[in-house]
Amino acid sequence: MFRNRGIAFKLILFFLLSSGVIFSAVSGYNYWFSRKTIERNVEDNARSIVLSTINRIEAVIRSVQKVPENLACFMEHGSCDKEELLLLLRKVVENNSEIYGGAIAFEPRGFDGEPVAFAPYFYKSKGEILFSDLASESYQYFYWDWYQIPKELDRPDWSEPYYDEGGGNILMATYSVPFYKKGEKRLFRGVVTADLSLEWLQEVVASIRVLQTGYGFLVSKNGMFVTHPLKELIMNATLFGLAEREGDDNLRKIGRRMIRGESGFVSLKGAAFGKPCRMYYAPIPSCGWSLAVVFPEDELMADVSQLNRTVIILGIAGIALLVIAVVYIARSITRPLREMARATGAIATGNLDVELPRSRSGDETGELLDAFRYMKESLKDYIRKLTETIASKERIESELKIAHDIQMSILPKIFPPFPDRKEFDIYAIIEPAREVGGDFYDFFFIDEENLFFIIGDVSGKGIPASLFMAVAKTLIKATAMKGIAPGEILTEVNRELSQGNDSCMFATIFCGILNTRTGLVLYSNGGHNPPFLLGRNNEVTPLKMGKGVVVGAWEGLAYQTEQIRLKPGDGLYLYTDGVPEAINEQGEFFSAEQLRRKIGEFHGASIQEMTVGIMKEILSFSHGAPQSDDITMMMIRFIEKSKSLS
Amino acid sequence: MEIQTRKEKNAVVVSVKGRMDAVTAPEFEKNLFDLIAKGENRFLLNFGELEYISSAGLRAILTAAKKLKEKQGKISLTGLKGSVEEVFRIAGFHAIFKIFESEEAGLGET
Repeated sequence: MFRNRGIAFKLILFFLLSSGVIFSAVSGYNYWFSRKTIERNVEDNARSIVLSTINRIEAVIRSVQKVPENLACFMEHGSCDKEELLLLLRKVVENNSEIYGGAIAFEPRGFDGEPVAFAPYFYKSKGEILFSDLASESYQYFYWDWYQIPKELDRPDWSEPYYDEGGGNILMATYSVPFYKKGEKRLFRGVVTADLSLEWLQEVVASIRVLQTGYGFLVSKNGMFVTHPLKELIMNATLFGLAEREGDDNLRKIGRRMIRGESGFVSLKGAAFGKPCRMYYAPIPSCGWSLAVVFPEDELMADVSQLNRTVIILGIAGIALLVIAVVYIARSITRPLREMARATGAIATGNLDVELPRSRSGDETGELLDAFRYMKESLKDYIRKLTETIASKERIESELKIAHDIQMSILPKIFPPFPDRKEFDIYAIIEPAREVGGDFYDFFFIDEENLFFIIGDVSGKGIPASLFMAVAKTLIKATAMKGIAPGEILTEVNRELSQGNDSCMFATIFCGILNTRTGLVLYSNGGHNPPFLLGRNNEVTPLKMGKGVVVGAWEGLAYQTEQIRLKPGDGLYLYTDGVPEAINEQGEFFSAEQLRRKIGEFHGASIQEMTVGIMKEILSFSHGAPQSDDITMMMIRFIEKSKSLS
Repeated sequence: MEIQTRKEKNAVVVSVKGRMDAVTAPEFEKNLFDLIAKGENRFLLNFGELEYISSAGLRAILTAAKKLKEKQGKISLTGLKGSVEEVFRIAGFHAIFKIFESEEAGLGET
């Protein structure tokens, strides 16, 4: 997908991806860690606020509790009349600033002399101590919780907060301590009470501040809101009522834990507090109430979110800067590359004079440019030399072709060469190899009735072979014209050619002299393939040979002259090694044996048809394979003189 | 073409394997010339594993033989068979080189 995009694109993509991943990981961890830290700090803060507030409340509550407890003790052990009792109660209320009011409520006939109910109550109002007897028709103190519950439980107890209608006429909670008559039977005589004004408690709790809008609230033993910033909740709603209204199961569970006297940190996701909040709660041990602080989560995370925003902005700015840097670097790499690609294209079309971009730096791109420039110059130089070489090679080739043409031109090509001589027939054909080869043949009369003929093959190829061949051919003709026997001719030619022939160039030569009157052939062989003798009756046999060595390489050799008498119709088929050594595409040789069969197949044909036909066979045999050697054939047929005359 | 040379008691045996043509003959020639330059002057050429020999190969043998002739040295041949033997026979090398049936015979004789 990206394979065909540019380097700049890939660099930018990979840098962006990798730096994006790194940045995300770093800022993610940063966010997580700072969130944890802030959470912990705020939780610690909330906990310590709650605990210190509880301590303050607890201290007040304990001192409030002391008063009725002491008074109850006095009621059980001491004795006093009504006047003294009232005075004592008044003093107690007056001297204990934490107490809003105090009462001693007796069972009917619980106090000496009083017939029915007696419950003196002193309370504070606008700096004065006021008296009220709770034993009134309208108040009916026997039925109030602050009286009933300690009596039934048989122990001191804090009442639920209540509005003391007809008593103190404020929101309060009352601590009631029962007292008994000593004797055989412990008899309940009444309760001593101390009132705690909840206004004070509300002030204390309202002073709690966590973060911006975090606040505290207090719930009583049955979950009633004792203090809360929302005044309408106070004494009107319970945590459970709130949970019921919102359908918040979690809040209900938390409420249960709170009134069980547990403490803990919780997340509140429900709508009970308007938005997701955190809450810490802890019990006030002496009265079994629970104090909680609540603060919204978004405020808790405000700093973290701010930090995170800043980090993200910084990160994006950093990545943008990185992208600019990468683009700049990529450009500095790709610009010369692009220019170079363009230059290469031009060079590829043969324009070696194209201007290369300047290398502006010593970096890898610069090195590449320098190397490229060097390559261009070398290429230019090389092509110039190549052009020169090609020119000189072409010249040599043309010279070789001329040499080849000259070589071919010195071979007799006109057939029949002696139209008026009917007593024999002669035909020769040569298929030169691409390269200048060394095959040659010749025939001429040395006198009226003796025809000298020769076929030869010079070792090697090219100019040396053709020069050697020209020399040999000329030498042979000159020697043959002396009228000596073929063996002597070869002996003489060998002596001439071998002198100073250090490179040992040689020629294989077969030469003979046909007496056109008698059919007698004198012949001598210098290392050449033995010719075939073609009988009238189509028998094909190789000519008997002596040990004739190749001519021109070895000094001091003597060649034998052999003889054979041709009957009328007999023929000689002479060839060079190009014939049996012609190869086909499979690398197989044409072979002397196959040649011999082919000659047989042409029985009855004229010598021209025969040689041309065999040549065609060889060329079709070696079709496709490169022809590395000249292929030469020569054929002589003796025809009876009398016949030719008739 | 592979050339192996082995010094025996009274001759250097040069065994040639493969094709000896215009391309490979110069290497064979150089090999022999190096040996001659080192003073060797009796050679037994074993062509038992030679598959083909062209006129260039014949010329290389002749050149070496000619050089040895000045130093009263000598080249003999052995292992000729098949088409290679025919080439040597046609070229008339029997007349100027001693040709042995086997290497042992050649070494015994030389």
